[in-house]
Amino acid sequence: MSRQVGRIGQVGRVGRVALVAFVLVVPSRKIVAQDARQIVEEAQKRSDSQSQRYEGLLQVFDAKGKVSDKRWSFERIGSYGQSKAVLRFTAPAEVKGVALLIVNHPDRASDQWMWTPAIERDRRIALQDRSTRFFGTDFSFEDLEERDVNQYDYALAGDDTVDGAACWKVQSTPKQSKSSQYTKSIVWVRKDNFAFARIENYVKTDLVRRLAYSDIRNIQGIWTARQMEMTDLRRNSRTRLTLDKLAYNVGLKDEEFTLQAIRRP
Amino acid sequence: MIPKSTKTRNARNTRKTTLFGVFRVFVCFVVLQSVGSAQIFTQRGFLEGSLVGYPQEAPNDPTQLVGDFLARDEVFVAATPWLRLAAGLDFRANSHDQVDDSWAVDFTDRTVRRPRLSIRRAAATLTRGPFTLDAGKQFIRWGRADIVTPTDRFAPRDFLNVFDNELLGVTGVRAAFDTGAGTLEAVATRFTPSRPPLVDQRWAVLPPGVPPPTAPLLRTYPDAPQVGVRFNHAGSGFDWSASYFDGNNYLPNIDAAGITFPPMKMIGGDAAMPTRWVTLKGEAAYFASSSPTTDEYVLYVIQIERQTGEWVLIGGYAGEVVTNQRSTAPVTFAPDRGLTRSIVGRVSYTVDVNQSFAFEAAVHQNGDGEYGKFEYSRAYGQHWRLTLSGVGMGGHGDDFIGQYHRNSHAVALVRYSF
Repeated sequence: MSRQVGRIGQVGRVGRVALVAFVLVVPSRKIVAQDARQIVEEAQKRSDSQSQRYEGLLQVFDAKGKVSDKRWSFERIGSYGQSKAVLRFTAPAEVKGVALLIVNHPDRASDQWMWTPAIERDRRIALQDRSTRFFGTDFSFEDLEERDVNQYDYALAGDDTVDGAACWKVQSTPKQSKSSQYTKSIVWVRKDNFAFARIENYVKTDLVRRLAYSDIRNIQGIWTARQMEMTDLRRNSRTRLTLDKLAYNVGLKDEEFTLQAIRRP
Repeated sequence: MIPKSTKTRNARNTRKTTLFGVFRVFVCFVVLQSVGSAQIFTQRGFLEGSLVGYPQEAPNDPTQLVGDFLARDEVFVAATPWLRLAAGLDFRANSHDQVDDSWAVDFTDRTVRRPRLSIRRAAATLTRGPFTLDAGKQFIRWGRADIVTPTDRFAPRDFLNVFDNELLGVTGVRAAFDTGAGTLEAVATRFTPSRPPLVDQRWAVLPPGVPPPTAPLLRTYPDAPQVGVRFNHAGSGFDWSASYFDGNNYLPNIDAAGITFPPMKMIGGDAAMPTRWVTLKGEAAYFASSSPTTDEYVLYVIQIERQTGEWVLIGGYAGEVVTNQRSTAPVTFAPDRGLTRSIVGRVSYTVDVNQSFAFEAAVHQNGDGEYGKFEYSRAYGQHWRLTLSGVGMGGHGDDFIGQYHRNSHAVALVRYSF
């Protein structure tokens, strides 16, 4: 999803040439697409990039509709389960410099560390903390992970339409090694460009979080949702993430994705 | 326990001239900001006012209401891909004579009272591949525990309020090499002492029979550099580190001859192991000293951390084992040791994106000292935050926590961040 079942990254990757090729080979594509895992694999393949950078605006709407804004910068290097990402708050002023380092793994949950400049210390985000809301937003720490297609089992759950776009509904269930707060997720994958349109996350049989993708545009050949809205159905609150200055395959170095690096503003 | 009028006799150790300080400020801010205009420039700062109310008078301090103001500005510039510069300046004012009258800009943090103007940080960071070099005044944190951090040897603190203390920067060089499996760092700094409570104020409690000093005590600072190495593994599954320090304790020995900072060697380590249900953290260090009047001992902390929903729960035990009892000093100030032999805990709850509650407590295992703090914090808009807290303290006069039983207080703090 946005790079596999990832939640806040980009969505699928389709170059213009690939799009043409897709249209030309629709019959064979359709056959391939009947397999749920292959649908997600294809979405992951199309979202592949060596790196990514954007500036995000987070707007948290509470149950009364009150809005609270936060801004961050996001950089990612590597692809799929082996990527690393740094998310750094730039506003409001009191959280400026707070940074999160995410090291993704193909076969298990990511490692995450948070740097808090006010106390000049980093702290590992433990596995059991992943279900916690990230800085009071409706995204949990786990929702910030970028996970590989191989971390889930898939089943096709039918067809549907989201915002007028035909979609496959794919049920993904985390493998035992994944350590997810969610029992399962239902993912809507657009048939026209393999971009993710919606994800619904369940704990047991209860729908707890819904992530809606919108403003999907082709950026450097990658179909990317520039707006994502996470709704916490238990709290009746939602957080909208808007991506700005998004770029793929930017020049980033591996040494910018270490605990040493997140100390530096 | 140091008279506020105490002045160091060692002129080499008091780089506090107005012109020099102004020059540093100029370099740190004007130059950085001009450089930063064309580079990646980050700034953060705040204005903070607080009012502390003490219901009880202390024997040495009848003042029951203290107002404090702090303005802080920090700038960071990525001058080149391999060079980053950082500078920070503090301005302080206080209604209870806790801030120096002088407008000289302080760099060393060796003043008895808090400086009115001080350079909080002024450092350059050079990076090349896996190498990082930080030079200048900076913050260096070791250790992983949250309650007491025995291995945190480059982190002196301002203890004018013992239980609401603040980290002080150190001046020196820190070299780090990222091995892939972890980070190896070597540190060499000039000595920076912790700032103990003012002797004529309520956070300095002299033992019965010990009269307050009538004349300023001589302070002697070590000339030798403070050095240390640490290997920190932060990787899959769990984190751990091993560290060694050779220098001086940043907490003082006090006797008739004056105030000294005893030599100290420390070997220690820490670990954090997340499990499915809780995170286990531990930190321990052994302290040896060549001073014949300084104890040798082990400090350790074991804590359990659990985050569930919006709740964060931390509980643990801080312990001490004295391996060589040698101290005969009538007055000591050692909050790190004073907080050991305690059961400690902290609970916090995030109400929403703007509000949170927290409660923390420490109880000595013998019941002779208790401390509890409740805090409510709320943000208003993008810049303002109000924090209200109440601190209760009780116990016996001969206990480190209990000696402050007259210092229960309430705090209202307003911060404007920019």
